[in-house]
Amino acid sequence: MATRTLTGNSWLSILNSKKDLLWLMTWIAGLGMLWIWDALFLNAPAFARLQTAFLNSLFTGAMVVLFSLALGWFVGVSLHLLENSKSKVGFAVISFITDILRSIPQIIAVLIGYIILTVLLYQGIIRSSFVQLVWIAGTIAVAVFLEVADTIRHRIDYFRTLDFVDAMLCCGIKERRIINIEILWKNSRSHLLHKLIAIFGVSIFLQCSIDFIISVGLSTDVSLINFPTTLGNLLANVDSKQDILALSNLFTEPGYLSVIFVRHLQGLSAAFCIVFSLLCIYMIANGYVRRHKLA
Amino acid sequence: MIDLSSILHKENSSLWTRLLIHGAGIVLMAVIFWIFISAVEISRIESKKSDREIQKYLDLSKIDFGNPLDRALFRESLDVFYNGQTHRNDSLLTAIDNLRQRQFSDPAYKTGGNHDGLTWSMAGKLSGMYLQFLAIYGIVLVIIYLLAQRIAVYRFIKMKQHRESYLTQAFELINSIHADRIGSTWWNAFGKLGFLFLKALLKGMLLMLLFSPAYVIAYSVKTTIDTSSILFMILLGIISNGVLILTANKFFTFLVGESKKGYVQTAVAKNLHASYEWDAPEGIPPRTLLKIKHGFRSHVFQPIFFNARFQFIPALKEHASFLITGLIIIEMALNIQGHFCYELLQQILYRQYDIAAFIIFGIFLTVKVTEIAIDVWEHKEKRKYGY
Repeated sequence: MATRTLTGNSWLSILNSKKDLLWLMTWIAGLGMLWIWDALFLNAPAFARLQTAFLNSLFTGAMVVLFSLALGWFVGVSLHLLENSKSKVGFAVISFITDILRSIPQIIAVLIGYIILTVLLYQGIIRSSFVQLVWIAGTIAVAVFLEVADTIRHRIDYFRTLDFVDAMLCCGIKERRIINIEILWKNSRSHLLHKLIAIFGVSIFLQCSIDFIISVGLSTDVSLINFPTTLGNLLANVDSKQDILALSNLFTEPGYLSVIFVRHLQGLSAAFCIVFSLLCIYMIANGYVRRHKLA
Repeated sequence: MIDLSSILHKENSSLWTRLLIHGAGIVLMAVIFWIFISAVEISRIESKKSDREIQKYLDLSKIDFGNPLDRALFRESLDVFYNGQTHRNDSLLTAIDNLRQRQFSDPAYKTGGNHDGLTWSMAGKLSGMYLQFLAIYGIVLVIIYLLAQRIAVYRFIKMKQHRESYLTQAFELINSIHADRIGSTWWNAFGKLGFLFLKALLKGMLLMLLFSPAYVIAYSVKTTIDTSSILFMILLGIISNGVLILTANKFFTFLVGESKKGYVQTAVAKNLHASYEWDAPEGIPPRTLLKIKHGFRSHVFQPIFFNARFQFIPALKEHASFLITGLIIIEMALNIQGHFCYELLQQILYRQYDIAAFIIFGIFLTVKVTEIAIDVWEHKEKRKYGY
């Protein structure tokens, strides 16, 4: 008897071949289930805080992606044009600066950005939460944009070895158009999108980590200012930390599992949002590479 | 004439030019940090001098600056002594208020500790912490390098064995049961299905653990395990923050890319062993995962592995930097006293920015030295392969 398997014609086989979409659906479904659970069992103020924190984190991540793309594109293309120009001084200077920037661990760059933000907040130069989030996104983008710049340079270098670039130059098409439109926009979107998905994941990780560190380590300073709520500082909240600490009880009291998902929801939900999002974003990026055969 | 572009283009530059660039970067950053530290020191001396001047007024035993009457009397006295200098007198009163406020709110005043900035004794104390940080970093980096290779090789072999994920296998099983409709085999399949879902769940939990930020793992076991021990820090450095899985994934990508190259097909055509089954006579026995460097002789996987490893060496730089980010997060988030990065956070809290800059320079130096070491290693490997 013929057996119908996943390789046959079914919606599962379609999703199996598009792992990125499968994981995107898993991410949305997982968060959706958490939302329903929290709506049922989490108290209203905490639930509202959690939603704000998640949306703020998501918004910051999206802004990081946009800033990184703009910065990376600009630096990547500039480096290429400067490398091929007559004077190499500009290329040498920018290469040297990027080389130094690469050697600064991302978390240190972001921490410096936060210190400056704190000073600006004290002096009353920055007030609105929106501007604070944009500042944070800009800081994280400075720490991660070089990955986009590297991808852009690799793509340009690769296409420069092919005939079509020389052919276009012979046809009188400007080099800037060839690089920006023909190489990067028409032929490298998949590579760039993959990089941006990965950057989105890194930005969520960095943002949550720095918010957690700032809230725990510099709590006396931060309490005076009140940064916008994100998943990181929500997790650093005393209630949330108690919730996470409660997980230890499971080692000595396994029966506690039955109440933990009702009694300690705020911390567990924040932690789940962070970890589950990081995992799903990684899987989406991996699935995207496989589907578009980028490796 | 020296071609600057070829020097700075990493693929073309020789080892010496790369070392020169690294050296120049270290010197430049050292100068920038030195200027910054000196500026902070000068500002601190001036601030202390000014505070001492104002403290004289606060030390006046008859005046309570919290009492409005005393303040008014003091203000009038100033006007008598410095008649016509209203602006100066106002500024002095504001400066007194500022100092009083700082004495109540500034953590540096509240702790009562000595915050004299970057002294020799402080530099000595930090050096000890730095050496400890380097030791932990070195151990974690080596373990991650070795583990990541093995995980990637395991994933690659599984991929070559055409093994589907547990969930896919489970869904395939559901599909086949539905198509067959054989009642007697249903219970047998149900057991298999349960086992597959259990394996998928465990794998999912393991992945969640590997992607968990260090502070989530540490806080969830804090009451049962001593999270401030060095051993726990090393363990956390390896398994948390996604460092291990991302490094393994990078190596896996190189393995996949290498396996698609033409020489692999040629090697198979020339009868090199090419089976990836664990138990096949020409396959790969599982124990080879323990000695991956010498375990694949006369198998087509050996050149794939070595070529992927060669590409992996320069990629280690970015992973090393990310690993340092992870270690900084661990030390800061867990508030482990006496550790290098915790000290950084404390110095920022006490606004001892010169010490903070000194620590940041130490971290920068660690990344740079790692980059230099990897460049030297890559150069050696290149010479070995005749590049």
